[in-house]
Amino acid sequence: MTRILGVLGLLVALYAVLLESNPAAGSLRNLIYVGNNQGRYGLVTLGAALVIIVGGIDLSIGSVVGCAAVLFGVLMKQGVHPVAAVGWVLLFGVCVGLVNGLLVTRVRLQPFLVTLCGMFVFRGAARMIGGAVDTPSVLEAHPEYAGALDALTAVLIGKNEKGVLVFPAMFALLLLAAAAVGFFLHRTAYGRYWYAIGHNELAAKYAGVNVNRQRTAVYVTCSALAALGGVLLLLNDSTISSDTAGAGLELYAILGAVLGGCSLRGGEGTAVGMVLGAMVLPVLETLVSFRGLKNDVIPAVIGLTLLLGTVTDELIRRRSRVSR
Amino acid sequence: MSRTLRAAVLVALAAVVVSVPACGNKNKGGGDRITIGVVTNCTDPFWDLCEAGAKKAGKDFDVDVLFRQPEGLDVAKQMPIVEAFVQQGVKGIAISVINPKGQKKDLTRIAAEVPLLTMDNDADADTGRLAYVGVDNAEAGRAVGRLVKKALPNGGTIGMFIGSDVSANGTARTQGVLDELATPDANGKAETRKLNGKDVPGKLYGKYFLVDGEAKTDGGPEKNPQQYPHAMLGRLEGVPDVCLIGLYAYNPPAILSAVRSKELIGKVKIVGFDENPVTLKAVAAGEIEGTVVQDPYNYGYKSVEILAAVARGDKSKLPTKSMAYQVVTKDGAPDQTINGLAIKFPKAADYEVTIKAQFASIGK
Repeated sequence: MTRILGVLGLLVALYAVLLESNPAAGSLRNLIYVGNNQGRYGLVTLGAALVIIVGGIDLSIGSVVGCAAVLFGVLMKQGVHPVAAVGWVLLFGVCVGLVNGLLVTRVRLQPFLVTLCGMFVFRGAARMIGGAVDTPSVLEAHPEYAGALDALTAVLIGKNEKGVLVFPAMFALLLLAAAAVGFFLHRTAYGRYWYAIGHNELAAKYAGVNVNRQRTAVYVTCSALAALGGVLLLLNDSTISSDTAGAGLELYAILGAVLGGCSLRGGEGTAVGMVLGAMVLPVLETLVSFRGLKNDVIPAVIGLTLLLGTVTDELIRRRSRVSR
Repeated sequence: MSRTLRAAVLVALAAVVVSVPACGNKNKGGGDRITIGVVTNCTDPFWDLCEAGAKKAGKDFDVDVLFRQPEGLDVAKQMPIVEAFVQQGVKGIAISVINPKGQKKDLTRIAAEVPLLTMDNDADADTGRLAYVGVDNAEAGRAVGRLVKKALPNGGTIGMFIGSDVSANGTARTQGVLDELATPDANGKAETRKLNGKDVPGKLYGKYFLVDGEAKTDGGPEKNPQQYPHAMLGRLEGVPDVCLIGLYAYNPPAILSAVRSKELIGKVKIVGFDENPVTLKAVAAGEIEGTVVQDPYNYGYKSVEILAAVARGDKSKLPTKSMAYQVVTKDGAPDQTINGLAIKFPKAADYEVTIKAQFASIGK
């Protein structure tokens, strides 16, 4: 419980300052908009957090998101039905995770190195399969997909056919995914395996946990969520460039996970914390826009706020450990 | 527990309250003052000049200006800013569009809510945008082509570099250069030439052989744009009559640095675009043949002026034709009328002074 107090406090404070900054900030429309961004960040954060819980790290998330988004667009352009394309892209994510997982567990390479290489590989792959992808070009090539694309956008993003955001579907998706992650993490033996692996891999192994299989499963989940993130990115923005799509997202995801109470040493973290951690950055980004901050100070303000949030969180945890 | 909770909330609140509102002006959307939002396509000194102009117009026409430069030609970073502008009730938005086709739906939706002006990079007219503030990039591209012709009057090998080939300004500018080079000959014929001992594919435009037959895209100033001209110079080692062309503001300095590192200044010609301070200095020193400038200060100034007038119900200031580019060279030249536009040919040293004053006005 104490693990999520810090991030909850930060979130409450950020929302308070946001609502105070402008009357329009509290409008339903704005809150839905922010919520949807939180959903998009949150889905990849869940994956990053699970990997962190088993004592690993995934730096390839952003590139996988970008590559998945490009792949999604290119597949549709080539004549794959949008719904089938989503399936293929998710399968791509599963394969990426499988490769990452096997390299880490079977070849015994450092996760940092494996996924750092993945970061370059999948960015490059994204550039190779397509420069810039946009849904209008897809529809030019295949006007018959208009209905399916609109339906996908409505269900997964919450935007109507005119592009108006009517429901925070990505946030709903995050809650669903978080509920599933929470169920596995806190209510099944798998969760206990994952915490055990993160805490002490050797002990987990001697206790009979199939460490390699569990780890690989977690990497697969992470990359599949990242691939889903790519699908959402293209559906939401309707245009992406292979150079920039998802760039740096892995760091946001890791940050969200850590803010939400995951320890980079592994073995710690809760599903609620992950969601709260992922919610921080979109609020902060909206806040700097509403405040009309000067461009030059924005990155520093975001960094400092997040740093202070982490420091607060750490202090609370230490204090609670002492008082226990 | 309640003590820790209190401490948590208090410390976090303090953190935010200290760091966030300390800077920046608060914009209460419901107030009387008009607020105009301006958003660019990436972060660059080019946009600092635009910001200087926008801020000046804000003062001159008594409106608040929110000016944002999102990172790296990324729609996912640009649109949340526009969305925040809309929701905080700005009375007008000026935007440099990243991908006209892909952003069309969102821009159409936004133009229906808030007066929307495109600058530097246009959107399709049927998005409902009020007007486009900027140069005609095809014409400006032709001016670049004329500089190349002047640098290599007998033809030669050219390499072109640009940030993106999907943006409206990117495609028009590139095409303008090639059209000018091809005039009056046929253009775009595929050809392979043996350069530096290797077969190099390309296309022939008039007397000019374009390496790889396309402008090389680098994705933005953050993506180490120097590596591309550097690699190109490696491929063209020993080849005579080479001219490298940089079409986005950061490209000419990137080319210059690659040419310098290979000690080829003077041997390899460079033609630039935009008024990066490094570019201007190099033009004044004779290291770059010339650069075609758009006057981003005026983009910012005009955009805010027009949107402020529209917010007050006056649509008379909407521009009916594109703005005139200028051609900056070492020695300058008298003004000319080219294709109906009054074009100035300032001296690089003089133009540098103007730019410095513009940067200084926003403390840069």
